[in-house]
Amino acid sequence: MLRSESTGPEAAAKSGKSLLRRVAKDMGEQLQEAKKQTAAIELAGVCKSFGSRVVLEGISLSVARGEGLCVCGANAAGKTTLLRIIAGLLQPGSGAVQICGFDMRTQAREIKPMLGAILHKSMVYPQLTVVENLRFFSKLYGVRDSKGRIEELLEQAGLGAYRDDRAGVLSRGMTQRLAIARAMEHNPSVLLADEPFAGLDAKASKHLVSLLRSFKDKGGAILVTTHNVDFALRCCESVAVLEDHKLIFNARVSQIDTAEFARDYLSYARATV
Amino acid sequence: MSFGNVVRAIFVKDLVTEFRAKKVLAAMIMLGVLIAWIFRIATEASILDGSVTAAAVLLVGILFSAVLASERGFAVEQENDCISALLLGSADAGDIYIGKLLVNITLLCIFEIVSVPAVFVLFNAGVGRGWLQLIIVLLLINIGVSSVGTLLGCAVQGTRAGNSLLSILLLAILCPMMIPAIFALLLLFGAIGDNVLGIGVLALAGDFNTAIGFLAAFDAIFVTVCWLLFGFVAGEAA
Repeated sequence: MLRSESTGPEAAAKSGKSLLRRVAKDMGEQLQEAKKQTAAIELAGVCKSFGSRVVLEGISLSVARGEGLCVCGANAAGKTTLLRIIAGLLQPGSGAVQICGFDMRTQAREIKPMLGAILHKSMVYPQLTVVENLRFFSKLYGVRDSKGRIEELLEQAGLGAYRDDRAGVLSRGMTQRLAIARAMEHNPSVLLADEPFAGLDAKASKHLVSLLRSFKDKGGAILVTTHNVDFALRCCESVAVLEDHKLIFNARVSQIDTAEFARDYLSYARATV
Repeated sequence: MSFGNVVRAIFVKDLVTEFRAKKVLAAMIMLGVLIAWIFRIATEASILDGSVTAAAVLLVGILFSAVLASERGFAVEQENDCISALLLGSADAGDIYIGKLLVNITLLCIFEIVSVPAVFVLFNAGVGRGWLQLIIVLLLINIGVSSVGTLLGCAVQGTRAGNSLLSILLLAILCPMMIPAIFALLLLFGAIGDNVLGIGVLALAGDFNTAIGFLAAFDAIFVTVCWLLFGFVAGEAA
């Protein structure tokens, strides 16, 4: 009797705890689901100035998971600055940057593992070999099973034959492949690419397009800044144009005539040079 | 990601890069030996005690070599914008600083392995049984000089003044540390007595143990402050 009386409140406490656990689990799942639905890249009213020189003015854009956005614009339109702000290498003057639902200002530590970037320069060490470069960055980015991952990347990027060559002696195309392998080494959710087609021939550009497409197919989001609209549109779902530090055009690729856009953009770019 | 992994990765990467590129170590050693050689010739006819000059030459050599090493540390990162890749990684900026600091200390140690015997031979100097004390003093000097040098080496990258700014800032910041450093070296080289009394600058150091204490304190302050500041400085350099 005593025993049953004493187990009453305990049982109630236990059932209460399990209820709380269930609620917490449900909330966690809902949160995860909400995070999945949030955009991979979300910019709201981003502005940036260097001294009195305005570089970006009220930039708002969004890239969903598994999709790509191509940002075009003349030289000095602010494309690279925009990319560096999204990568967290520059602080915006005002506005907000969110990566996969995390705020860049307060949650940079959480965001870093989600980002991969191919910037204007290759960001690889010319004195180290291809494998040594990948090994170094795998340690820096905390990649688990780095050996397997490096072999996988060498195969994907077609760098197997160059694995023991120093990065400094590689051609522009091979260096770019190494830069992409470095950027993807830690399986990021978002890939930022600044002029990734610059200096590449048609074959290398096609290979790059296929790499970017396969990255997107795995659920990754990409943001590409480029002058090479032809190739960029092949791997992007949206296209935006920056002019005079503002976003003047932003549309789905499916809603525009890509050939006409490429032609118009080319004549526009020529006129702005 | 563990602190040790990042520090080790940067340490190994920088040493491999340096030994392959042979950019700075050879220059550091040449500079050190050249300074010692010029001072040896210049003081041949003077009444200066060789051990006094030896201590001063060794410290001057370390300082100039440290400028070279500090400049190299981040020139490597700037070459292909690798500094951005370092900052994009999830490694803490402080870990990157410690890795770079250890590389600079190692380069200075290698420099001293060659330059200390050269100074001893050229100036007919020695430390008797004080080898262990000499190693401690040199290590403390290396840590202090490299700590500030590593931070400034990163800060001046991309600036127009570059190297000249690095040397001016580094030497100016290190001035107070040089008093106990030269005092300890003079004492070890047998150029002065155990205690320096009076109102001279060297009297500030007091005795050998106090000088070591000052050096250790400077090191602790410099390393802590530079480690804390590195994140901001690297962010600006990228």
